[in-house]
Amino acid sequence: MLARLAFRNLWRNTRRTLLTLSAMVVSAALLILALGVFSGMFEDMLASATEQYSGHIVLAQSDYHQRRDLYAHLPLQLVDAEALRATPEVTGRSGRLRGFGLLSSGETSQPVELLGIRADQERRVTRLHRFVSSGTFLDAADEDGIVLGRGLATRLGVAPGDELVFVTQAADGSIGNDLLTVRGIFATGDSRQDNGLALVPLPWLQRLLALDGRIHEVAVRVAEPLRADLLATRLNSQLPDDVTALGWGALLPEMREVIASYDVSRMIFVAILYVATGLGILNTFFMSVMERHREFGILLAQGMRPWAIRRMVLLETLLLGSLALVIGVTLGGLLTLYMQRVGIDLSSQITPITYAGGTILPRLRAVFVLDNFLVPAVTLLLVSLLAGFLPANRAAGLDPVTALREE
Amino acid sequence: MMTFVPRLSLLLFGLVLLGLPLAVGATTDLKQLIRDIEQQYMGVSSQALMQMEVSTSNWQRSLEMESWSLGRDLFLVRIIEPAKERGVATLKRNREVWNYLPKVDRTIKVPPSMMGGSWMGSHITNDDLVKANHIEEDYDLALLEESDRHSLIECLPKPDAPVVWGKIVYLVGKQPRVPRKIDYFDEQMVLVRTMTFEDVRQIGDRIVPLKLSVLPHDKPDEKTVMHYRELVYDIPLEESFFSLRSLTQR
Amino acid sequence: MYALSYAWRNLWRNRRRTLITLSAIALSIMLVQAAHNLSFGVYNSMIDSGVRSGSGHIAIYRAGYLDSRDENLDFAVADLATEIAALPGVSRVMPRLYLPALAQSSRESRGVLLIGVDPQRELGINPFLAQLPDEEMVRAADSRDAVIGARLLDELRIAPGQKFVVTAQHRDGSLHSELLRVHGVIRTGMKDIDGSLIMIGRQRAGLLAGSPDRAHELAIVLESAADSQRLLPVIAGLIAPEDEIEAVSWEQAMPNLANAIKLDYASQKLIFVLILLIVTIGVVNTLLMSVMERMREFGTILALGCPPARLRRLIFLEAFTLGLFAAVCGTILGSLLSWYLVEVGLDLKLFLDETIEFGGVIFEPVLRAQWDPWWMLRIALYVVGLTVFAALYPAIKAGRVTPVEGMRAH
Repeated sequence: MLARLAFRNLWRNTRRTLLTLSAMVVSAALLILALGVFSGMFEDMLASATEQYSGHIVLAQSDYHQRRDLYAHLPLQLVDAEALRATPEVTGRSGRLRGFGLLSSGETSQPVELLGIRADQERRVTRLHRFVSSGTFLDAADEDGIVLGRGLATRLGVAPGDELVFVTQAADGSIGNDLLTVRGIFATGDSRQDNGLALVPLPWLQRLLALDGRIHEVAVRVAEPLRADLLATRLNSQLPDDVTALGWGALLPEMREVIASYDVSRMIFVAILYVATGLGILNTFFMSVMERHREFGILLAQGMRPWAIRRMVLLETLLLGSLALVIGVTLGGLLTLYMQRVGIDLSSQITPITYAGGTILPRLRAVFVLDNFLVPAVTLLLVSLLAGFLPANRAAGLDPVTALREE
Repeated sequence: MMTFVPRLSLLLFGLVLLGLPLAVGATTDLKQLIRDIEQQYMGVSSQALMQMEVSTSNWQRSLEMESWSLGRDLFLVRIIEPAKERGVATLKRNREVWNYLPKVDRTIKVPPSMMGGSWMGSHITNDDLVKANHIEEDYDLALLEESDRHSLIECLPKPDAPVVWGKIVYLVGKQPRVPRKIDYFDEQMVLVRTMTFEDVRQIGDRIVPLKLSVLPHDKPDEKTVMHYRELVYDIPLEESFFSLRSLTQR
Repeated sequence: MYALSYAWRNLWRNRRRTLITLSAIALSIMLVQAAHNLSFGVYNSMIDSGVRSGSGHIAIYRAGYLDSRDENLDFAVADLATEIAALPGVSRVMPRLYLPALAQSSRESRGVLLIGVDPQRELGINPFLAQLPDEEMVRAADSRDAVIGARLLDELRIAPGQKFVVTAQHRDGSLHSELLRVHGVIRTGMKDIDGSLIMIGRQRAGLLAGSPDRAHELAIVLESAADSQRLLPVIAGLIAPEDEIEAVSWEQAMPNLANAIKLDYASQKLIFVLILLIVTIGVVNTLLMSVMERMREFGTILALGCPPARLRRLIFLEAFTLGLFAAVCGTILGSLLSWYLVEVGLDLKLFLDETIEFGGVIFEPVLRAQWDPWWMLRIALYVVGLTVFAALYPAIKAGRVTPVEGMRAH
């Protein structure tokens, strides 16, 4: 009975209802969009840190990531370890061998980090192939190709098609040296990678370093990067004793700080957004109920119980709030979708930015995260209920005569 | 990132490759003694066939090499065995090091940042090759102990000398007068490395030890041993022999 | 004036409604102003930290050095540095020599970046040295003192006071070595810096590279960042054209930092636009509602013979008064919050434990706001404009209402 009354009440003053509705719809939609954009920036930042070079989780001998010891190698079969294959969260895995040495062309030579990879595996873990600025990335069948950073290529004076020599001390102490052909040049924007990293086919580097069938690490991509550390802990219990899985948080502690500090400033802005939205909605609802003191006075005078008034107003607010949120969330979803598909490209004014080992592309875009819809919806509904209840409560407690006398 | 090889000074090449021509009359003036050695090196040329055995915790390796030298600043060495590395050569000219790689037919100059790297997989770095250690210039020498058979000479670095050691102690034999052992200490006077000299032979009018071992003390199971199979002095060699062109020949 | 005071009195006839609207607008202004001042402060401290450790507000290089980092591209600094230091508005002039080198201890060797500096000029300016006690700084430009990154110190397996040898390429192509002693240790929290930086006196570095009294970079720190546009041409004018050297702004010398700030600012602008839109919706709504609720009142006024134009003006004036008052209150609240953020700051240590790196620059884990009064004024004016704009539709509507209709409403 009350519910029907409440619903009818809403449409008795269409103008007021529409106003309240629109305030909530627009604020909720904008809030959801803003949260989506924040999540998008956060994801870009996280991805740039973890997917550009290291991977979300790295399996290696326990201190390999600290010392990069040539002899801390593992069997190639680790890539297909049962623990990895049986974990659905693992979406990509790449076996890698790493060698340090001299890359030389003509008169000049440069110290370099060579990463031996299988192109098809690596593509599923990192995004280096997306940064190729001239030439091509390695393909799976390549035997002696090299893809190197732009700074390195400039210093060596090479372009795709040119030959390079790599020299290093192999694992058996001999002098490993061979020719490579430049296939492509990448520009990640990170000076360390652009000036010191090169990718070569895994079998080529295994042969050169006299480490046939061996790798140094398996880089793993997971579905949810933020849960990488947890997953790494779980993997550790299933992996052989000499292999340690480390999540990106442990591999890149300074990155964790950057992300944490970014998260703090994000929270500040999210808090401001919520307060601004909440204030707007509080205001609108509060006012829309407050304006009805006179009406409540009449109802009270007609013998309606105060609790019935409270309940009626709460129901009205709940109905209106839910309706507004359904529309608002839908609209917010559409706006987020637009920002995800199209986004705002700033590359005409800003070049890629590097920081603590990652690169951020100059763009603004949004992503879909369930929490960005649920949390605002619940919060805003509670705010509106509160905003409706407070004046209703007050009105219900009033003496009908006083209420009627109010303007 | 860099190979973990202990520092070695050029003493290896300054003293050993050319030998210590100390068969001449005994003198107790250490500086004079060192200066004599210095004078002896000027213009001395040599050709040698040597074997280098390197053992590390990760590999054993044996190399046969042919080498030529002129004075202290010019030095060329080429691998003969194993076959896989045959023809790999190193040229040292003054303070520069070049490597020739026959497999790819390229000559590569070792850049400054890689000078700390190991030379041919041994416990000697590229930098050891170029740092012509003018021991009497960088160190103050003092006679620590003297017996019938040995002299113990302590070398303390001069205040500003660009050397990494805190102290070097020579054990020099008297009959014949050749180095027996060199101990290298860091600044805290912790023994970091020892070189020993054995197989003392007479080559021409010089008496030299033909076997040299390098023992890094923080890795007790590792060492590099160089053994001269053949050694001749005073052969006709021009400075032009030590050129990039002759590096790539053969 | 009479109309204004009438509008003011009108506003307070329904005190509760006005207070709610007022507080919503004022609080929004406060938040937006304080948030802007906070990020304004953070950007400025990033720029400040960046220019002090990096290129300065204005930097001088040999043409081509910025792109190639070729060690041969150095220049003589003596007279130039003195001339620039004498310019009004210039705080410090720091010549620096950058040399890639090999550092060796008795046990290890590492590739390093050697920076030759004039110690007294860096001290108190360069944020890399912020944690370093003064007495640990390189004592003189020709001393053998070295200030070295903590991680590098560990890797070389040496301790403060101990010696090590650096080797770098001399101008003539040969390698030169110098003995150095660890005099101070820096911990910046940046892996690259702590693992490869060695700071020594510029004279000593000059001996190593064979370029005494020369520098690769002349970093000029100004008293106020705002002067850089004005001083750039002045400084460029001091350079003889035949010297092939150029003066550039920090945005050119450190594009990474400039871009990091630009990107962050772009995203922040988007968020501010969204916040302002949300505020706008709230304000428009509240005003609309309050006017709509008063249709009965307007009807009465019109029935009493008041011309519609006057009624409209009254509504506008009310909105304007409300907006103005809200803007004043909001700005006062915004100033109070900003004042707290300027004086005390927001301590990130509550959330994090160490110093933070962003865009290759370290900044203190306390975020401090900085006053940007013009921007605060702009926001306040925008909100006043907004309230007046929000009154547009209700005013038109109220003017058109027939007295009977108005009386009947609600």
